[in-house]
Amino acid sequence: MTTVKLTDEEKRMLNGEAGKVAQICMEALVEMAEIAGAENLVDLDGTGDMHTPGLEITPYHKITIEDLRELVAAGGRFKIPTFANKSPFPEQPPIDGWEQCNICAYRQPENRHDDPEFHKKALHEEEFELLKKMGMLTSQSCANYLTMTYWPTIGQHCSWFESSQIPYCNAILGARTNFDGCFATCFLGKAPNYGMHITENRYGRILVKTDRLIQTDLEWDVFGYAVGCEVRCSVPVLTGTAKPNTTQLQKFNSAIHTGGAVQMYHIPGTTPEAPTLEFAFGGRKPEREVLIGERELRAAYEYLNYHTSDVVDMVYLGCPHLNIVDLMRLARKLEGKKVKVPLWIMTAPWLYNAAKEQGYVKIFADAGATLLSGACLAAMGAVPEGVRCIAVDSAKQANYITGCYPEPDKMLEVCYGTTDECIDAALTGHWRGEWR
Amino acid sequence: MEKKIRIYGRTEYPGKVTAEALVSPMPLQGFTNVDPARGCTTERNHPLFGISYEGKVLVFPSPRGSGGFLKYGKGRKPAAFIHTVASPLNVLCCLYAHVPSMTDFEKDPLDYIETGDIVFVNADEGYIEITKKG
Repeated sequence: MTTVKLTDEEKRMLNGEAGKVAQICMEALVEMAEIAGAENLVDLDGTGDMHTPGLEITPYHKITIEDLRELVAAGGRFKIPTFANKSPFPEQPPIDGWEQCNICAYRQPENRHDDPEFHKKALHEEEFELLKKMGMLTSQSCANYLTMTYWPTIGQHCSWFESSQIPYCNAILGARTNFDGCFATCFLGKAPNYGMHITENRYGRILVKTDRLIQTDLEWDVFGYAVGCEVRCSVPVLTGTAKPNTTQLQKFNSAIHTGGAVQMYHIPGTTPEAPTLEFAFGGRKPEREVLIGERELRAAYEYLNYHTSDVVDMVYLGCPHLNIVDLMRLARKLEGKKVKVPLWIMTAPWLYNAAKEQGYVKIFADAGATLLSGACLAAMGAVPEGVRCIAVDSAKQANYITGCYPEPDKMLEVCYGTTDECIDAALTGHWRGEWR
Repeated sequence: MEKKIRIYGRTEYPGKVTAEALVSPMPLQGFTNVDPARGCTTERNHPLFGISYEGKVLVFPSPRGSGGFLKYGKGRKPAAFIHTVASPLNVLCCLYAHVPSMTDFEKDPLDYIETGDIVFVNADEGYIEITKKG
């Protein structure tokens, strides 16, 4: 028997009295709780983020398509508002722009994203429709908070997935999530009660100082990566920065959970659980102080750049997915221009339509660029054939995209810098970025 | 008689196994930066880049990055996981790996274990025992 304390209702679910799917989900949650050392489960009153793979909660807790059909026919619904994180299926097809996406999923030649047959298969229509009937909302973004239009509020318990969204939920929204969004948590509206659900674990532990005012998009991205590398799984309190805007928060949150596994941080005077420095630390002294200054930032910038040549074959923007203001600014910069090398831009599906209405999709197309939605280059596991060097403005993408090409004779090179440097590279085919 | 070092910790996933240690001084990252088919990290510039962890006791400070860290628990997986600091990423990995996994030790195992040492992971009784390489 499990050591996790369950309510009578939860015990009945575990015994199968609430149906087969509820039983599988409860078994998965109990195992998660045991591994995590959680005493019990917490009832979720916030939102859920369902990540791939949808029905395989774990290899030992799988729901079949037949189970799902029966569940939906019997009126089964997600207990909490549930948003889809990118595609809930392993192929990770783009939702818009897939026709232009001349890459092979996970480098398998038969799985071309621009092949209509593969695309259709990758959408898993029946399963997708069933999940929608259960209430899954098709925001399909690694930055769901951009379009979900229904945010959890301070203190609400959530179950999200996706590394960049975890600190966004905890630190920016003040809601509470561990890294566990899946079918089981969303269907039962429960999650193991540990980590970020518990107030004590949310206080700051490490004081971070900087000797360079963090204020540009690139500075926030590099700062996030460097802080993550330094503090790892801890809770940093950041001082000496300017106030971040939305784009910068997106960048910072994705970078800090790439360099490290930071679920929570505080910026006193800016983030909701840190009205003051003392409050951020819960009245205790920091365990240690670290300086992430000019020297550390430059080292991180140089680590993220990984290229021997300045010849760029492709430019990728939109990690994490671009917000509508980013798209507007990008359209302004590309209007009337023509790219020399492919420029792919990624956003959330629900913003693609807004971008279309605003005329940005046409501006991008006229410039020779491609707007895609709902996917991620690294998650698709490949770049177009022949690309040896890619330019990005994201520490997260710079960090992951090379992992798709680990063979010594095929290593992918990455130029990392500002959005403007990436646009310049797209227009000229050359990298002229530098740390300034 | 050989000297054995015993360190107590918290069990994440139970089981007992004895195997050679592979130590990563750096955190490990999953998603595209691990290849379960070959059983090695593919993170550029990583000290374990390309080195097989299959059947080894994989010792590391903490995970970092994507939820795709769970890929360390698929394919050619380690015999056991030993890490200093716990994260929900380790929970995801254990759900897939179903091999002994321990964390939150009384002393940092990275201060005691070197690559090539033999480690008995007794996650059923909550300790590891290290035999230094000859």
